[in-house]
Amino acid sequence: MKSYKAQRRLSLVFRYLLLTLLAVVWLVPIVWIVLASFSYNDTGFVSTFWPEQFTIQNYIGIFTSSQFPFLYWLRNTFVVAVISMVLSTFVTISVAYALSRLRFRFRKPFLQIALVLGMFPGFMSMIALYYILKSFNMLNLGGLILVYVGGAGLGFYIAKGFFDTIPRSMDEAAIIDGATRWQVFIHIGLPMSRPMIVYTALMAFIGPWIDFIFSGIILSSSGNPKTYTIAYGLYNMLHSTKGSSTTYFTQFIAGCVVIAIPITILFVVMQKFYVNGITAGADKG
Amino acid sequence: MKLWKKVAVASTTLLAAVALTACGSSSNSSSSTSSSKSGAVKGSVSLWVDTTQVPFYKTIVKNFNKKYPDVKVKLTQSPNGSSNAKTDVGKDPAKAADVFEVPNDQLGQMAEAGYINPLSPTAEKTVKANNTATSVKGVTWKDKMYAFPFAEQAQTLYYNKSKLTADDVKSWDTLTSKGVVATDFTVPYNFYPIFLSAGTYLYGKDGETLKGTNANSQEGVNALKWFAEQKANKGVMQTSNALNQLKSGHAQAIIDGPWDAANLKKILGDNFAVAPYPTIKLGGEEKQMQAFLGIEAFAVNSHTDTKNQKAAAALAEFITNKQSQLIVYEQSGQIPTDKATQASSKVANDPVAQAVMAMAKPGFSTLMPKMLQMATFWDAATPLINGAYTGSIKESQYSAKLETFVQRISKAN
Amino acid sequence: MFKRKDKKPPKATYREVWAKGGLASKLSFFLMGVSSLKNRQWVRGIAYLAVEIGFIVWLAFTGVSALSLLTTLGAIKKKQVVFDKAEGVYITKLPDNSVTILLFGVLAVLLIVAMVFLYVTNLRATKSLYIANRDGEHVESNMEQLKSLFDTRLHTTLMTIPIIGILAFTVLPTLYMISMAFTNYDAKHSIGFSWTGFQAFGNVLTGDLAGTFFPVLGWTLVWAVCATATTFFFGVLLAMLIESKGIKFKGVWRTIFVIVYAVPQFVSLLMMAQFLDLQGPLNNILLNWGWIAHPINFIGASASPLVARITVIVVNMWIGIPVSMLISTAIIQNLPQDQIEAAKIDGANALQVFRSITFPQILFVMAPSLIQQFIGNINNFNVIFLLTGGQPMNNNYVGAGDTDLLVTWLYNLVFGQTQRYNASAVLGILIFILSAVFSLFAYRRTNAFKEG
Repeated sequence: MKSYKAQRRLSLVFRYLLLTLLAVVWLVPIVWIVLASFSYNDTGFVSTFWPEQFTIQNYIGIFTSSQFPFLYWLRNTFVVAVISMVLSTFVTISVAYALSRLRFRFRKPFLQIALVLGMFPGFMSMIALYYILKSFNMLNLGGLILVYVGGAGLGFYIAKGFFDTIPRSMDEAAIIDGATRWQVFIHIGLPMSRPMIVYTALMAFIGPWIDFIFSGIILSSSGNPKTYTIAYGLYNMLHSTKGSSTTYFTQFIAGCVVIAIPITILFVVMQKFYVNGITAGADKG
Repeated sequence: MKLWKKVAVASTTLLAAVALTACGSSSNSSSSTSSSKSGAVKGSVSLWVDTTQVPFYKTIVKNFNKKYPDVKVKLTQSPNGSSNAKTDVGKDPAKAADVFEVPNDQLGQMAEAGYINPLSPTAEKTVKANNTATSVKGVTWKDKMYAFPFAEQAQTLYYNKSKLTADDVKSWDTLTSKGVVATDFTVPYNFYPIFLSAGTYLYGKDGETLKGTNANSQEGVNALKWFAEQKANKGVMQTSNALNQLKSGHAQAIIDGPWDAANLKKILGDNFAVAPYPTIKLGGEEKQMQAFLGIEAFAVNSHTDTKNQKAAAALAEFITNKQSQLIVYEQSGQIPTDKATQASSKVANDPVAQAVMAMAKPGFSTLMPKMLQMATFWDAATPLINGAYTGSIKESQYSAKLETFVQRISKAN
Repeated sequence: MFKRKDKKPPKATYREVWAKGGLASKLSFFLMGVSSLKNRQWVRGIAYLAVEIGFIVWLAFTGVSALSLLTTLGAIKKKQVVFDKAEGVYITKLPDNSVTILLFGVLAVLLIVAMVFLYVTNLRATKSLYIANRDGEHVESNMEQLKSLFDTRLHTTLMTIPIIGILAFTVLPTLYMISMAFTNYDAKHSIGFSWTGFQAFGNVLTGDLAGTFFPVLGWTLVWAVCATATTFFFGVLLAMLIESKGIKFKGVWRTIFVIVYAVPQFVSLLMMAQFLDLQGPLNNILLNWGWIAHPINFIGASASPLVARITVIVVNMWIGIPVSMLISTAIIQNLPQDQIEAAKIDGANALQVFRSITFPQILFVMAPSLIQQFIGNINNFNVIFLLTGGQPMNNNYVGAGDTDLLVTWLYNLVFGQTQRYNASAVLGILIFILSAVFSLFAYRRTNAFKEG
């Protein structure tokens, strides 16, 4: 009995050690990124783990730079994120609900077409998107929102999976009691899918903060850095200038850390919803 | 209306002539002489420059507006920098700026694609009269000039003079035996010119002959052998971040362009020193190590409205004139192409400018060709040089690899 | 369950509607919505009519020309440089802009298809109105119709805006991309290009790009399998480690790993590239500790292909394991315990339990999302583009490196040096075929697409 206990203790110690080791491996690069953002460096490359010289000048620099209007980027991204969050969530939830709870003629074809569309790589469509938006004179933040919202209709899988798990008997009972389907949607469907709405909304909110490709294609032609979003602005900081970009490198890292913090917190908070969302569809296997 | 146009033409020719004589004779305040006559140029044009250069181009545009008060200039940063002008303009030429900065190697393709307009004969005359012959050649494609040159770029050797003497850096062998050169063999811009040192041509002597590449020869093999030797050379360090290696003291010399000069001065402090490329031993002979010579220029978008074309050309001409080149030099260290500016004391006494200007001479550098095939060339040269350097291409394969390389970059379509 | 009450009216053919219907019914074959108007369904009738009028006006003014231009993609293919004597400058007479011609041509086709669809619904409405009138049944009033948008036709209300969005921002661009594959749109024909049939396909499959396409395709598949399998397998193991008995603060442990996933990829991967550089911190640390004698070239342009490929898979594990750990955690928590208990009583050890019970169960539940991940990895742009940019170089490839996936190669062909738009469109189609083949059987099994 004693040896069994000792064995278990040993196993626990071993597991703790393993876990700690893994955690260290996982976090080292992240810690390094944060450290690098505090390092003084003008060569465009950080070669040491521990900065040779600490400074907070990078953070001061990024917030006061006139060429790289970081605060405008933050504001733009926030506006885009909020608007596209509201609209995308509405679109995604509507589509998911309709496909899951309502029966209509084009339901199945729609599911199949959506599946097919999702398999084309998106890059080629960017050229077309650019010209579509250009013909509406929408090569700006508004156009960017349109693109995000326009794509939201195809992101229904997870939400649909979630709706599929809610027993349908409730809807039927309500219909028999004389409720319209709209009332069922508003008073039963939406309240029950609150975690799903939170998940969809947060994902839509995070999107604009991390997308540097679409935003680059759409926003770059304005040439006005005040209209950029944060991801493209930061990316552009590294790639637009020969030579001098090396001097901005640590500022770039500082800017990255600034936006990574809120996104990380949001994500950590919503990890539960994320898991629920992903597994809901798969639960019935 | 027609009369008005005639007046405009007359006044600009006059203007050009005045500017021509002014530039030739006096060294200062050449541009303000004819401000009253040029009111005829009207329009609104947009201008793309690199992000970090926006501030001082604002000054230049202000000067421009003093001379051409009726031209509205919208100055913005280009999407991905002038080195990506081809792709930025190509994405949607109609949306690209009317005047934009472009390195000369992209001119051929842009001209063929119809993105840019040739210079008018009067403008050609002005440019030819004021700028060095090499820079004029750099912007000429099929006997027409397609852009206004304003800066020449050639890589030079930057080194730490507390570790290396001026004599040490005269030959690659002494340089790498006494110190370490940090460089990147994956960038063909750095190392393709070794082929030119070896005595081969890239697209012929004139850089415009499609079948003129003769790297598939013993000279080409010599160049590849040289790359392979560098792998074993302890004094050569392969790195993607030469600046950092220089700063940390792992390397004592790097090859780099004038665009990094300001930063290098900061990194090396009092030990900053610059020199033209050393000589290298190729096939048993000591030869001058060459560099690519690039000409930075401003081109006029062919999608610009006809009514704004003249204003655009006037803007491009003005921002590359003597006065503007001097501002650009002072603010960003780009080496002017204007003959008078090059001779001015400020430029002539600058060691970086001296080194670049020395490199710009024939024998030290070759103009980057403007062929359409340059796009393929960059893609194909990278793995070739790098493969020889790392040894993934064996010596026995050299001839075959060079043969495929030459064929690939010599395809008409 | 929501089936309409079974009072389906007796059927009628369109022939019958045409032959026996009133003037309004007949007119509806030409003027959409007339029979609705006749039956006082004002909103629907006016909407149909307005759409048709709008369509005809569009067709007359731009539609026809857009369609006819589509056949040639513009007549002028070559530019012409002329000297404008009056202005004293050269002017370039540009070729017709095939990009916009193609785009608006595709748009026109799409609009016509949409119109045909509406026309069919119009006929259908006409027919049901005819039947209702013929059999003396209740004809929906205007108000009833509007109300039904929130009840029996709720799907119309919910789906209309999203479908318009999808048509404009996904379907149209995708069709445009597909048609590009049949042109000679490249750097040499960047403004005016023309239809060339399957020539671009030939270039990719047998021409100068074939030597790159097949090796890159092979690596893409190897990568997708490895990336999916490693993140899944180790994710499950990590989840079980955290969930195992005796470990405290499970939430904290999980959060530590999730942080890595949460940091935006363009930050974490771009920095990771530096971290792994030949002279980067990792090599410096390892050198200082004496673990290695020479720095390892993990992902540099001159790295060994094998090392680089292993490195990207490992880095992908760094990014991907936390997610699959989260998902597996949820599944493990919901696993029925009775089987495991029974097995333990029978004397099975932990490994046996894992191998024969836990793991198969997790695999079973996660199968659909694994297939999605596999497809996602085929198109995993970020990891490759931000981490290696496709490097190391390969001197046998055209415009691609050893770690390039089809999708990053596609990106290089569009935005890189060579700008071969048509070839990249072909690649896009081939990637689609690849994904479709793999998911064809797989998706049929997943719950999301079964009849609920």
